[in-house]
Amino acid sequence: MKLKGSLTVFFAVYIIALSFIPLLHDTLLAQARWAGYGTGAYQYQNQHYFILFNDPYDGSSKPHIHVNPDFAPASRISLVEFSDWTSWVNDHNLFNEFDVTMRASTQTLDVTYSRPELVIHKYIEMSSDAVKVILQSEKEFRAHLEIWRWVMTSINGISIEDVAKPLAIAPTTLVEFTFSDDRLQGLGRGRIVMSAMPSQIQIWPHEKGFNKITVDFVNSMMSFTVSGSMEAVGTPSQPWNYALLPYVMPVVAITVVALYLLVGKYGRTLKNRATRRSS
Amino acid sequence: MEERSRIVLLAAAVRVAIAPFFMHAGDVGTIYESSIMALKGLNIYDFVSAKTLQMQNATGLPVFFEGYAYHPLLIYFFTPFYWIFTLIAGQGPVMIDGHYPALPVLIYPWTPLLLLMLKIPIILADVLIVYVIAGMDARKAKIYAFCPYVIFVGAVWGMFDALVGLFLLASYLTSSRSKFLSGLFYGLSLMKLYTAVLLPLYAVRLYGRWKEFAEFLGGLAITLLPVAYYLIVSPKSIWNVLVIFQGGRLMGGVNLYNFIWIVQDLIFDLVVSMVPTILLIVALFYLITRFGRKAPLLESILAIMFVYFLFGKVINEQFLVSIFPLILLSRECDHRIWVAPFVFIFLRSPFYYFMLPILWTSPVFYGYYLQADDVWRQLQAAGYLQIPMYAVGVGFSLLIFWNLLRVIESVRGGVGFTPIATDRLPDSSGVGLVRSVRKLWE
Repeated sequence: MKLKGSLTVFFAVYIIALSFIPLLHDTLLAQARWAGYGTGAYQYQNQHYFILFNDPYDGSSKPHIHVNPDFAPASRISLVEFSDWTSWVNDHNLFNEFDVTMRASTQTLDVTYSRPELVIHKYIEMSSDAVKVILQSEKEFRAHLEIWRWVMTSINGISIEDVAKPLAIAPTTLVEFTFSDDRLQGLGRGRIVMSAMPSQIQIWPHEKGFNKITVDFVNSMMSFTVSGSMEAVGTPSQPWNYALLPYVMPVVAITVVALYLLVGKYGRTLKNRATRRSS
Repeated sequence: MEERSRIVLLAAAVRVAIAPFFMHAGDVGTIYESSIMALKGLNIYDFVSAKTLQMQNATGLPVFFEGYAYHPLLIYFFTPFYWIFTLIAGQGPVMIDGHYPALPVLIYPWTPLLLLMLKIPIILADVLIVYVIAGMDARKAKIYAFCPYVIFVGAVWGMFDALVGLFLLASYLTSSRSKFLSGLFYGLSLMKLYTAVLLPLYAVRLYGRWKEFAEFLGGLAITLLPVAYYLIVSPKSIWNVLVIFQGGRLMGGVNLYNFIWIVQDLIFDLVVSMVPTILLIVALFYLITRFGRKAPLLESILAIMFVYFLFGKVINEQFLVSIFPLILLSRECDHRIWVAPFVFIFLRSPFYYFMLPILWTSPVFYGYYLQADDVWRQLQAAGYLQIPMYAVGVGFSLLIFWNLLRVIESVRGGVGFTPIATDRLPDSSGVGLVRSVRKLWE
């Protein structure tokens, strides 16, 4: 009985202690560095932004930049998504027609796109107030990039009421857009600052807003500095979010272990009583 | 018709009726592509190792291609049935790309026939287990024959853990009469490498009885010849696939460790994954030195495997099938433990793992699948499935722990000698099995 009791205590403590690992990782270890995970994807979390760079088998989210609102820090609200599926360099699709390799340092993710005649690096550099996506090559290249969000309510002051079909806006190095989030009752603002004047910027209407911005340019280097924020305009509900899971795991572990101990203690008593009655 | 035959025939009929219409795309796909390569005489390990290196180069991460990472003998259980299939259907592709996350392309009308053929070894293993157990206890044979979990893993998904279960059962049943056969069957059970944890137990039990030890090792050595061959022919590939992949896997599955799936930091996860491995070594050492020689073999095997289920890094839904026959033979264990991994299957797997190839037979069904899958992915992305998965994983670990305590208590109290423990088996089980195998051997 002594051995059984000791083993049970050890195992219960072991389960509960391990269940805190996600929380410890999130609060102490995961902040402000690129971390790769099992599928080959990378993510980065700091106080304001969560960035996902998808695995090599998926052309979306290359990267997908989310903002963490100050009033709901655990929520990840989509800001913009760069898509390799729908982006081309020298008429070659970034996802289907380039070999891709990824390497991460603490603050920079270096993604290399290779073809026999061309090598382009996509650097994603993090700072506390912005995310910089840089496309760079030793040679000049012609690019058509698509930047998505479902949906932007206005872009550079143009709202959906003003536009019925894709519109080329005046050449600029600054794109500012607004968006809203029904769940959080929040109003968001985003900015994309480009390092050089592109040859064309188009905005694409879709039902309740604009769902993508396309940028065409010819250069050997182009950077997109993305920043954004969100303010509460109503009383936000506190919706469930994936980022809350680390807090839930210890609760689940403690509950299941407690159930096991209760059944072990009282289940046996009840069984003994039943056996006694029947015998 | 005698009851034993009736149970066996019914068990076979249920499985054959289900087999052509369902599959687990990943596992069946692996067996299918490996059978093709084996038939062409290609080196499977070179293929898997090259894919892994390609993935590691692309991602800069220690990720692995999840292909054929098993004992070389395994594929030769399936290849003859694939060869028969090609005689009927030809050599054209039937299943194109089934590795997650890609959806497979299935070619009709051959897919159901291919599934049936590739599942025949699994169905035969299940049926043989039922036959052997029915010789000892018809009620327990019925439990195995019609257990939804066992049927799902083998006949629905096409996973081959029943082969491991059969050989482990055979190794146990033959151990008191023929150490050579016991070693041979144990070696065959290594086709899924996790039964390697039992080797120290066999070694400790046979230590000092050198003739029997040599017989056991002789049987085991025969099964290891293909491994030796690949170690000579392509040492880097087989080492990469069998040792580095299996040893460096991320913890998780139906156990208390699947919380790690929400910690998206591979390097950190791999470091944490060493914690249960350390405890596994400690627990194995304790159990084997304390009870290894004294306790009955059945209880010893179960205790070691339970410890593996508690501290092994990866416990997939299907693993329990491999020890389910032994659990049924033990009076100390509660066989209803299968409910936990069975529930887990439905929480973890995308919808297409339940209805392939039926969903792929028409664009209408495929459309329904896409709608259902969208809902599933939303639930998964929101984290709603992670919570019950973790709860079931912890629950299953605790049930395993409870069974382990029961086994240890019975051994310490000296009541572990069940009526069907190996030393007192009725003639219809172990001896019969030894005789039949000897006949085949001669």
